[in-house]
Amino acid sequence: MSSSTESFNQISPSEFFYRNRDLAGFSNPTRSLYTAVREFVENALDACDQAGILPDVYLSIKAVDDEQADPKPYILTVKDNGPGIDSKHIPLAFGTVLYGSKFGLKQARGMFGLGATMAILYGQITTNKPVVVKSSPDGQSQDEYELLLDIQKNKPIIVKHNTKEVSKRGLSVSICLEGDYSKAGAKIRDYVYQTSLITPYATITFEDPKGEKFHQTKIVKTMPLPPTIIKPHPHGIDVETIRRMMADSHFQIPTVDNKMIEKVRKELGLKKNNLNYSEIMEKASKRWPGLSRHVRVVIAVMSFLKMDFEKLSKIRIDDMDIANKILAYWDFGESKSVSIDLDPESEYYKQLTNTVQGETLISFLTKRFQRIGQATAVKFTAFANLKPEKRIGTMTNQELVKLSDSLQKFEDFLSPDPSCLAPLGEEPLKKGMEQFFKPDFLEVVQRGASAYSGFPFIVEMGIAYGGEIKSVGQTVYRFANRIPLLYDEGSDVVLKVVNEIDWTRYKVKNDAPLVIVSHICSTRIPYKTVGKENVADRPEIERELRLALQFLARKLATFMSKRGHAEMEKKRANLYSKYIPLVAQFCTELAGKKKEPDYKKMLKMEAMVEE
Amino acid sequence: MKNKSKKISKTSEERRESLARLLQEQGLKIYSELDRGEFPKFSVPSRSVSNIVYDKKLRQYILGNTASIRSARNMSQLRSFAQLIWLAFFANRLVQEKKSSTLRDIYYSSQAFSIDFEDQPESDNIIVDLEAVLARPREDLHIFPEERSSVFGDLTIEYTVPGYEGKRTNLSDHPDGYLIGPSLSSAELVDTSAELVIAIEKGGLFTRFVEEKIDKKFKAIIVDTAGQAPRATRYLLKRLHNEMGLPVVILTDGDVYGEHIAMVIKSGSANAAHLRELTVPDAKWIGVWATDIEKYKLPTIPMTESDIKRIYDLQKDPRYQEGIWKKELEVFLKIKRKAELEAFSKYGLTNITDKYLPEKLEIAKSL
Repeated sequence: MSSSTESFNQISPSEFFYRNRDLAGFSNPTRSLYTAVREFVENALDACDQAGILPDVYLSIKAVDDEQADPKPYILTVKDNGPGIDSKHIPLAFGTVLYGSKFGLKQARGMFGLGATMAILYGQITTNKPVVVKSSPDGQSQDEYELLLDIQKNKPIIVKHNTKEVSKRGLSVSICLEGDYSKAGAKIRDYVYQTSLITPYATITFEDPKGEKFHQTKIVKTMPLPPTIIKPHPHGIDVETIRRMMADSHFQIPTVDNKMIEKVRKELGLKKNNLNYSEIMEKASKRWPGLSRHVRVVIAVMSFLKMDFEKLSKIRIDDMDIANKILAYWDFGESKSVSIDLDPESEYYKQLTNTVQGETLISFLTKRFQRIGQATAVKFTAFANLKPEKRIGTMTNQELVKLSDSLQKFEDFLSPDPSCLAPLGEEPLKKGMEQFFKPDFLEVVQRGASAYSGFPFIVEMGIAYGGEIKSVGQTVYRFANRIPLLYDEGSDVVLKVVNEIDWTRYKVKNDAPLVIVSHICSTRIPYKTVGKENVADRPEIERELRLALQFLARKLATFMSKRGHAEMEKKRANLYSKYIPLVAQFCTELAGKKKEPDYKKMLKMEAMVEE
Repeated sequence: MKNKSKKISKTSEERRESLARLLQEQGLKIYSELDRGEFPKFSVPSRSVSNIVYDKKLRQYILGNTASIRSARNMSQLRSFAQLIWLAFFANRLVQEKKSSTLRDIYYSSQAFSIDFEDQPESDNIIVDLEAVLARPREDLHIFPEERSSVFGDLTIEYTVPGYEGKRTNLSDHPDGYLIGPSLSSAELVDTSAELVIAIEKGGLFTRFVEEKIDKKFKAIIVDTAGQAPRATRYLLKRLHNEMGLPVVILTDGDVYGEHIAMVIKSGSANAAHLRELTVPDAKWIGVWATDIEKYKLPTIPMTESDIKRIYDLQKDPRYQEGIWKKELEVFLKIKRKAELEAFSKYGLTNITDKYLPEKLEIAKSL
């Protein structure tokens, strides 16, 4: 294989993100400071969630030079009590921009890694200071790294590394970056406040550059169950995703070099002895179930070549034409190209077919998707008019589009498995809101799981009224996957639903002091814009939000009418004690009497009615 | 000269006494209800459109039998119940002390008794409620509106208001006429040489009539209604007709509103359907008729859309279904033009008094 153009076109992921940092939210000092805070805080919370640790997150932003005017360098530190990161992984995790293919789905605040590394990258670009990472997974020894990124090579440069003894587990990341706290401050404070509201099981501390401290001790001591990673639902899939899933299952013929031969020998337990061809094949068939895929393929190739390791090391496999059942190789010893026929009856032929052409459609569907069993898969292939035994590696572009379209249209799939979701839960939400708003009335609801386009979601909502809420009209706090959505709320689906409700039907005045907390959990939140601040109005989501709000509004209406009744009784009593004596006075003179009628017993009667 | 003072005095006194009795009855009823521990209530005749019917015998609009109960038990009615009993109480004091009050006075007086009216329309409304409960006009309760009209002519009256009791005045003594106010309304009508009452819509023409000595030439008492006749004016017209036996003729602008001014004097308004003492069923409208406009070649102005709409509205009224009332409406609708009383000035300032009035009075005899 010769490819001299390779280094020419490729840029490293770091380089790519450096050039496109606007996309990741690092366009200016104000936005960058806010985004960096979010990325680190969300990583810290995610890490604790996954490890089942009640989070204790400390955030601090300190100006390098207090006197300097904004924008200026700040030191941003986020410390958590999470599981930390193994020392050997730290340089790669914080010193490279990672990208990979993930098909497993679960709910998380952020996609791991990317945003945090972007923040580190941004810090390095603006201040040329290394990131300081301190990690202690065991709570005994702590590794401290100072890292820089080599942007062109996408490699970490370890500036400093030492280990010392500590008494606390957790991870601390500290970067120096250019920011504008005078502009970003309000946004960051809102973010921290709202994050505490939706994470009542976390203790969150924030020290800002002006020395002001926000501290919220955890309100509940139970964590939501962690989400499980699950396979995608067929409705939530497009052609490109199928292509990538196939590439993942697709398998290249391995290069049979000395390294590979060594691997085969190792797996077969032949490190010391040198066996001939048939002995190798016999050994392989015994150990078959435990062999790795690469090794199985090499064995299969060997079965057709009928070669031992000695001979195998002297050839190069050029082509494997499964359709014509021909295997071609270059023999270094003889310096010529040889092709042999493949026996389709052979067990090993099947192995090669699987490898080169991929799985059958049925196997692809049942293994790689949720909610598809054997029966459903068969039914589906009939629906899609595709052959069940078709190898996915041999599917044409048109067939792939057909497959993708049919997966969307087929209606017999069960709705998505919500076990990958981790809603907060009614009790924690209620306790959090109680603590934050100290209202007269509070009610929360968690709707059952639902799905839009193959992505499961759950809506949680809470409503609080009166008490210490002083706002005029309603305040809506929007959350998605436990992240506060702070801005761009105008076009958000939650706001749409809230605004469309007719409060007078629920005995609530438009200027009533009302707080609504809405939390949407999903493996994929349908954001409207790149900014990820507003949720699009998918009908399924809109419906769930509306049902949740209506449920809560009905509860509020009951409360309001009880309260209204009590107020009415009070008003009634006041009215009677004011007017009845007057009426008595007037009619006494009108009737020409001297003594007023005995009306006092009537007022007493009124009082009794009231009770 | 006819002397009717003795008989009149009795009427006026009787009215006062029966009103006092009526008020006391209401007071006693509420007093005993309260004393029994019951929630007191008033029965207030409904003044909604559906309860206003035309009585052919009385020749006026009256209230039907629908009445609503205003009870102190009902929280939303308690306040207006208290307002109503207060007003009865306050009117009783006015009547006993022979003092008069205006609609605006009532609004302010209430505040001295912890009775709160939100605004004057609210107190005005309660006054009408009390009128309906008692079936007596507010003037009987010594409550008068601000609007005033005038009267001139040979009529001797005797005041009954405190400080003037027994004092007599002749209403031809002052050329601007006398205001028809509380003291004139409560005065006894003693004597007159007049044989006719001319009610005229406009103050300007009223002055002209005085200058031209119409009172002497036609032996008339001239009344300025100043547009739609106030209740006190209608009450005076009724008394002049009933107590002094004088026929009443009405002269208005030649338009649909003028025609209706005459009709209200004759048979009342829907607004006052709860009262039966303000009409002069025998009163005659003598002009300006629609047919006069052509006959006397009067300068005219075109009708507005609201004039025409008003004609259509009145055509549905049962009182406009016959005689000149019906005919003149039809002619107005046909010519779609109107003429004011002043239009006669085209033919000289005295044309209306010298020519038109005598001719119309002659015609009136046959109406």
